[in-house]
Amino acid sequence: MDVRDTYRHNVLTSGHRACSGCGEAMAARMVTDIIGPDAVYINATGCLQVFTTHNQQSAWQAPWIHSVFANAAAVASGVEAAMRANGKDTPVVVQAGDGGTFDIGLQCLSGMIERGHDVLFVCYDNEAYMNTGVQRSSSTPHAVRTTTSPPGRLSEGKHHLKKDVISIIAAHQMPYAATATVAYFPDLKAKVEKAMSLKGPRFLQVLSPCPLGWNHDAAQTIQVSRLAVETGLFPLVELEHGAVTGVMRLARQRPVEDYIKLQGRFKHLFGSKGGAVEIRHLQALADARIRRYGLLEADTEWTTDTANQVQRRGRGGYARVSKGESQ
Amino acid sequence: MSRLSFEAGSSVAYHTGDWRILRPVYKDKWPPCSQTCPASEDIQAWLALASDDQWQAAWRKLTERNPFPAVMGRICYHPCELSCNRKHLDSAVNIHGVERYLGDLALEQGWRHQPLNKKQQTQQVAVVGAGPAGLSCAFQLVRRGYPVTVFDARSAAGGTLHSGIPAYRLPKNILRREIDAILALGIQLHLDTRIGEQRSAQSLQEEFAAIFLAIGEQQPRIYTGNDQSGHSIMSGVDFLRRINQGEPVKMPRHVAVIGGGNTAIDAARCARRLGAEVTVVCPQDPHGTQHGHPGAEMPASFEEVIQAEAEGVRLSYRLGVSRLVRSGEHLSGLQVARVDQLHDRHGQFAPKLFEGTEEFLSAGLAIFAIGQEVDWHGLERLRDSEDSNILIGGDAAGKPRFAATAVGSGYQAAMSIIACLTGIPPVYEQHEKAEVSINDLNLSYYPQSVRQEGGVVADRLHDFDEVITGLDKTAVTHEAGRCLSCGVCFQCDNCWHFCPDAAVIKQDAGYEVDNDYCKGCGICAQECPCGHIDMVT
Amino acid sequence: MEGSHAVAEAVSLCRPQVVAAYPITPQTHIIEHLAEMVADGGLASEFISAESEFAAASIVLGAVAAGSRAFTASASQGLLLMTEVLFNIAGLRLPVVMVCANRAVGAPINIFSDHQDSMALRDAGWIQLYAGSNQEAADTIIQAYRIAETCELPVMVCMDGFFLTHTFEPVDLPGQDTVDAFLPAFHFARTLDPTRPITLGGGSEPDNYMEYRQHQHQALVSAATEIENVNLEFAQTFGRDHGGLIDAYRLEGAEVVMVTLGSVMGAVKDVVDSLRGQGQLVGALRLRCFRPFPASALVTSLCDTGCNAKRIVVLEKALSVGADGIVVTELRAALHNAGMAVIVEGFVGGLGGRDLTIEVIESVFRTASDGVSTRCRFAGLKPESGDQSTMGES
Repeated sequence: MDVRDTYRHNVLTSGHRACSGCGEAMAARMVTDIIGPDAVYINATGCLQVFTTHNQQSAWQAPWIHSVFANAAAVASGVEAAMRANGKDTPVVVQAGDGGTFDIGLQCLSGMIERGHDVLFVCYDNEAYMNTGVQRSSSTPHAVRTTTSPPGRLSEGKHHLKKDVISIIAAHQMPYAATATVAYFPDLKAKVEKAMSLKGPRFLQVLSPCPLGWNHDAAQTIQVSRLAVETGLFPLVELEHGAVTGVMRLARQRPVEDYIKLQGRFKHLFGSKGGAVEIRHLQALADARIRRYGLLEADTEWTTDTANQVQRRGRGGYARVSKGESQ
Repeated sequence: MSRLSFEAGSSVAYHTGDWRILRPVYKDKWPPCSQTCPASEDIQAWLALASDDQWQAAWRKLTERNPFPAVMGRICYHPCELSCNRKHLDSAVNIHGVERYLGDLALEQGWRHQPLNKKQQTQQVAVVGAGPAGLSCAFQLVRRGYPVTVFDARSAAGGTLHSGIPAYRLPKNILRREIDAILALGIQLHLDTRIGEQRSAQSLQEEFAAIFLAIGEQQPRIYTGNDQSGHSIMSGVDFLRRINQGEPVKMPRHVAVIGGGNTAIDAARCARRLGAEVTVVCPQDPHGTQHGHPGAEMPASFEEVIQAEAEGVRLSYRLGVSRLVRSGEHLSGLQVARVDQLHDRHGQFAPKLFEGTEEFLSAGLAIFAIGQEVDWHGLERLRDSEDSNILIGGDAAGKPRFAATAVGSGYQAAMSIIACLTGIPPVYEQHEKAEVSINDLNLSYYPQSVRQEGGVVADRLHDFDEVITGLDKTAVTHEAGRCLSCGVCFQCDNCWHFCPDAAVIKQDAGYEVDNDYCKGCGICAQECPCGHIDMVT
Repeated sequence: MEGSHAVAEAVSLCRPQVVAAYPITPQTHIIEHLAEMVADGGLASEFISAESEFAAASIVLGAVAAGSRAFTASASQGLLLMTEVLFNIAGLRLPVVMVCANRAVGAPINIFSDHQDSMALRDAGWIQLYAGSNQEAADTIIQAYRIAETCELPVMVCMDGFFLTHTFEPVDLPGQDTVDAFLPAFHFARTLDPTRPITLGGGSEPDNYMEYRQHQHQALVSAATEIENVNLEFAQTFGRDHGGLIDAYRLEGAEVVMVTLGSVMGAVKDVVDSLRGQGQLVGALRLRCFRPFPASALVTSLCDTGCNAKRIVVLEKALSVGADGIVVTELRAALHNAGMAVIVEGFVGGLGGRDLTIEVIESVFRTASDGVSTRCRFAGLKPESGDQSTMGES
């Protein structure tokens, strides 16, 4: 099935200063284009805010506000209340990184959800504090090298586990919480559209690889994010009112090594005894997530194979274009 | 200057294209199927049209290079499928199945070939030989407005397609109808006209502005062993011609066929249908691999070998004939011996028999299918001419003896003749295009799917009816849709979606990179399913 | 009427579309009353119970940016938890109005009134108006919206916790029509509106940050005129004049002037009257507006127009620990800059709700007359503290 648009708004337009191959820029472009310019966007402090509003130039083509790091969900609550007070139904969307979601922003986010504000909160999860130079966050996976979780004689990287934020969020019994990633655009699009079709607080966690912080080739952003899903390390799930209502089945499970060997942030795990244990630990974490969500056997609309299927047009497909497919 | 708010979209004033080291370039490639197609068909294009139910358009695209889809869909050994990149994902696209369907559909629907341009040329062209090469050449020329006359020594057109391919592989009416469709473009055909006998070579030279010699290899190579009597010995070519002309051939209980090519397998399967126990003696291992392709050691098509074996043909391989064994005139069998080295150090086919490994193989008839030669009798004058308006093509030019190669040769000849007549050199666009290998593709975007095969008639040894049935419409659509479209953009929008910098601009037919903003990350090239995008400095 | 109730009624008269707050003593009665009004339908407003003061401030930030008039209130720890957002609101130049029910800052934790909380926010870029009475607090709310929305600056209305918030006084509340006429419907030029998309709160760099700050400073300085004008217009419309930037009392011929803020002014006025009765030439001045700092108004009041202060005593309920009282420091600078050689002596008192009694105020007047000191002195300490600067209660 084709779920791709042929028209785009460029809500996040060119000239922004994200690093080459930035997964967050990509994710934000996708999400904001699916939602469109007829919405108010609230941004937490972070890479996205920094690289889109530099030197008095803005890459946003929709109303956009940034206040401080921790308060994006609260600002959104106010904006949404103002919309309600003024009889408008302009959608309100928060964009934050994992810091602004998992850590410093969690309280405001929880408050926003508990109060039932009609806001979509989108977390672009790149698993560390990239804007400040790759420090560990509570989203950083186990055993990852960051500047504040350096491997050393006594350490194999981050000691602690990645916070299971989607469960925390979903436990608010809210209408919709889902995970997505840039690699599966049709899935991401379906989830954004579903979120936008619902009222009340909604949450989307979009895994957004960071070539700089994850230390992978800029061209591999999609490949890395795809492998995060295919290994089971980042399950694509949907939860409604606290219950799991959808998962993306893995057409096949890939070993975590396929994923981590592409990334410099895991490089220290290779070639040492302690590292080998951590790799097995990561594999066990992936296996546990697969079991928990039934990723290998769930009866789902899409699998990691079919969700990737692309539509054919033009000379390579002759399809659709020649028949004047709707825009 | 200090501002309380920033203007929406004002970042476009900042050109991030300055950061770039590599830049993406959209570039059509020439897929491996087309590269290996002896007829240089634009396979990707007609598969794409077929997958979109544009059947006639697909057929027209196909017949631009090959006017014999119903024939080739049946008998071509389809090297396209051997090279198909899809085999790295699951299995190759059933290209020949789609081709056959298109050819059959055209016959069923009565689709007519159309001239490429209305302008009529005055220079007459003669084609000698109404086989696949000659008719292909005539087809291309007549579509471009040249009056063409085709001469053939036989009483039926089709050359080896008619005389050499058994009906269980290629029903005669299919061949006839595809030839009729070609001739309907206005080609003059003179059968039973052997140049040098019914017409002189000189008169051809005087009457025609250009001549294409596509006389094939109709002269069987003779067994030069110990026996010269000729009793109970037959060439594969002659055997098949008699079968195909409906002449009765009496079969002994045991038949030996010597050779590893398609003629040998065809002869063996025909003999089998006539009730004989058949053994094929060949030096090559039919299941041996070459460059990883099963069956590639033996010249015969692997599928044909499999079919022959299924029909009960025995294959005795790594063997060569050392002598014929007779009891009086009567042939009682062959003495065969082990071989391993097939070629001499010059690369010539010269199997080396090992003394002391002889064994006896009982046979009342030995069919030698060990090659054919060109019969230049009466055509020496034309063959030896240095005039650029006389061309030789097809099997007669020493090309690999495959029908599709002959079709391709006919196309090339037509282009060369036009170049000769107009003085404008031909342009072969595809030669400019780069190859696209499996490493250039991103297979993540193609879900696995099972290849659909034609059916096989189970009970088939009692007649010469067609063995393999074609694909149905659903299967054809499925197969056409399995094409990976190697190197040819199918506007999936991946580059457009994934560009973090909105630096890919959508066009009516494709995309353009906005170099003002492209940072050269390479994601578009990496995530292009079909390898259409290159990163260049 | 209780001060909190009066303020809530005044807020309601300003028709805020969004009210967000987190409870903290002594601010609670204000928002409780607003919540009641919303619940009863008397106030058409989105009432949002934030999960923290930080969120409450953020919510009103968002609401105002989205074009709604908004209100919040806090105090003490809550105000400090808002700090980051309050700076941000000011930087974004959003016309937010809030009440600070002034309360001491812990540790040690203390729910009673002083000015340490709002004084800590003096550099945040907010206009700060300190009310002397419940009537003034209510009236100042109405003025605050006018000032904020005209100047695109946030206004913090400070009222002493308990002394005002929990105290019953007669308050005259104006009619809704009069307030509507005085305060037109909110229209914000930089609102978040898809039909006119703009970017708010974007990044700045060394080559433009300073100019931005300088403009903000200029806007705050210029707001002094607007505060005066709004006060005059308010007085004409509602018949009450609380003073614009300052509230002067018996400065004519005064040689010793006490400068202070907030509700203590009532007691100070009594002391002035009493000392004047004893023939002493004393007066008093209440800073109604602390930000922008009304330097020229102070200089004019204290050194011209019949007042000829030789000594000035500042009695304030906050200090910059390790330095001095805050108001006294700024006043000294203002007078110094104006070339006025006046002795200015600072007293810190009333911290954590300690009563500034008539006796303490008198002793401050007396002590000032007695000596010259530029040390920070504490008024109203208990004798056993042993501090040499102990004043009063002796």
